Amino acid sequence: MRGALRYVGARFVTTALVVLGAMLLLFALTALVPGDPATALIGPQATPEYARRFIVEMGLDQPWWRRLFTFLSRLLVGDLGTDVLSGRPVIQVVGAVLPYTFALTGASIGLALLLGVPLGCYAATHRGSTADGLLAFSSVTLIAIPSFVIAIFLLLLFSIYLDWLPVLGGGEPGNWVDGGKRLILPTVALGVGWIGFVARLVRTSMLEVLGENHIRTSRAYGLPDRLVVYKYALRNACIPTLAVLGVGIGRLLGGAVLVEIVFARPGLGRLIYDAISTRNFAVLQGAVLVVVVAFVLTNLLVDLSYSVIDPRIRRQDPVR
Amino acid sequence: MSAALVEIRGLSVHARTEAGEAHILRGLDLTIGRGRILGIVGESGSGKSTLASCLLRLLPANISRVEGSIVMDGTDLLRLGPAAMAEWRGRRIAAIFQDPMTALNPLFTVGTHLVDVLRRRFPDLSRGAALARAEAMLETVGIPDPPSRLDAYPHQLSGGMRQRVVIAMALSVQPDLLLADEPTTALDATIEAQIVDLLGRIRRDFAGSMAFISHHLGLVAELCDDLCVMYGGLVVESGPTEAVLARPRHPYTRALLDCEISEGDTGRLVTIPGEVPPVTADVEGCIFATRCPHVAPACLAGQPPLASVGPERRAACVRSFEILP
Repeated sequence: MRGALRYVGARFVTTALVVLGAMLLLFALTALVPGDPATALIGPQATPEYARRFIVEMGLDQPWWRRLFTFLSRLLVGDLGTDVLSGRPVIQVVGAVLPYTFALTGASIGLALLLGVPLGCYAATHRGSTADGLLAFSSVTLIAIPSFVIAIFLLLLFSIYLDWLPVLGGGEPGNWVDGGKRLILPTVALGVGWIGFVARLVRTSMLEVLGENHIRTSRAYGLPDRLVVYKYALRNACIPTLAVLGVGIGRLLGGAVLVEIVFARPGLGRLIYDAISTRNFAVLQGAVLVVVVAFVLTNLLVDLSYSVIDPRIRRQDPVR
Repeated sequence: MSAALVEIRGLSVHARTEAGEAHILRGLDLTIGRGRILGIVGESGSGKSTLASCLLRLLPANISRVEGSIVMDGTDLLRLGPAAMAEWRGRRIAAIFQDPMTALNPLFTVGTHLVDVLRRRFPDLSRGAALARAEAMLETVGIPDPPSRLDAYPHQLSGGMRQRVVIAMALSVQPDLLLADEPTTALDATIEAQIVDLLGRIRRDFAGSMAFISHHLGLVAELCDDLCVMYGGLVVESGPTEAVLARPRHPYTRALLDCEISEGDTGRLVTIPGEVPPVTADVEGCIFATRCPHVAPACLAGQPPLASVGPERRAACVRSFEILP
């Protein structure tokens, strides 16, 4: 138990370093982005005096490293700054869209796992069959098509042509049915490539595990295929699959940006996109910080899950 | 020898390899007597493990052709469909494998392994009853403190202990045939002796037959009632262990015996010059001709069949009585 705590502690230190590195990069990049934030935000008609005051208010007259320092020291007391456009605290702005993005990415991962895992198992146990070949082909195709292309296609087909589902937006907060309906197409658009991705991952890991001696033992004792594959082998195949998925979360969040834009859904991705176009740095920093933290936390969760799955990783066990 | 439990006739196995088609078993004949322990010995590459895989019908993916028959209790296992064969595994036939370090799933406890195997064999068994029986089985195979070992994961046990767990699995299903494919090869010498002791001890309560595959003639002599010597994918000699070892009837068996280190031996180790013919080669004459010190023109005419050379004894050598009087 103490070992586990120390492990988590060490991971939090790494997490802090990753966040620091990411923010450092972000501040350096914003310093390089061309365009005058004041002009972008308040428009070209503003008087020079007003623009000047605005820049000072945003702290943009300071060099980027000093702005980073200010940002980080405020961060320590939980202050993400204020959105100069709306006058609301950034934390509120980000918090308002966070549920939409989490719902979208969560549902996409759920969809990918729900379909990808059984498909991967099936492909591995029916290696070389027509179904396996078909699955390989469609997986690669779906992985290769960018999510925004699928998004536009789905929109045209289901919302415009068939008129089965609402077109755009995220729905009213609190209206679960409408929100759910509006979640379907974006989830499919974002998740469909991941179904193929997960299926490929599971198939590869599964094939490796199925060749191992302990699986031959299970078979030699006549355990039914269902038990051998879904109990004994799948648990082993989980570990490499999870490892790749953890890293893939970053790519998923990136894909969410495009899907949110196509469907005009509120969300972190859209927020970041708008913040970049308007050079609204305070919001940009806050939103990116949340994305980085979400990414790092997911990976921490993935790493911790290994020790739940694999007893050999629980290091405190006494050797008997 | 009492009535046969398993009769293998003309078992021939081909495999695809990078070097072309390989003939791993070349028409092998073998009989496992009811309630007997049969020792199967031979060098690496003689096809011992392939034979075990055939009995379980768990063949490696590169096997392209299996011919002949394996008749157990009147049923030809090679003619059974996959589902019917799965019924035999873990009920009528159980196996202990070569490498205990990898034979158990690292992510499941010893108890889970035993309970799943037990409940598949005896579907009416409740989980609690299965656990109790698993505990008793661990006791039987000499694992100290069984209740706590049920919750142990394989990596928490030594190689010898893991092999005992697999033996417990094998015994728990009360098979008619217990296959032990080099169960001690991966273990060090003292543990090896313990496991062989254990196998000898359990036979008192074990009603079935056992096939003990090994390359170690000494172990086989200690444990087995009958002996069968494999070479190049064929059985070249078989018979009651004592009789075969006292007076081998095939020059290969003789040569194997000469390789064993006996007490009072000094000086250099004896080896058999040459190598087993490659599995990809077509062999015209006797399979052992290339290494046999007594090879004669008659030996090159074709593979001699396993012929009776005494009570319960068979050997595949045309010059048997000439060279081994």
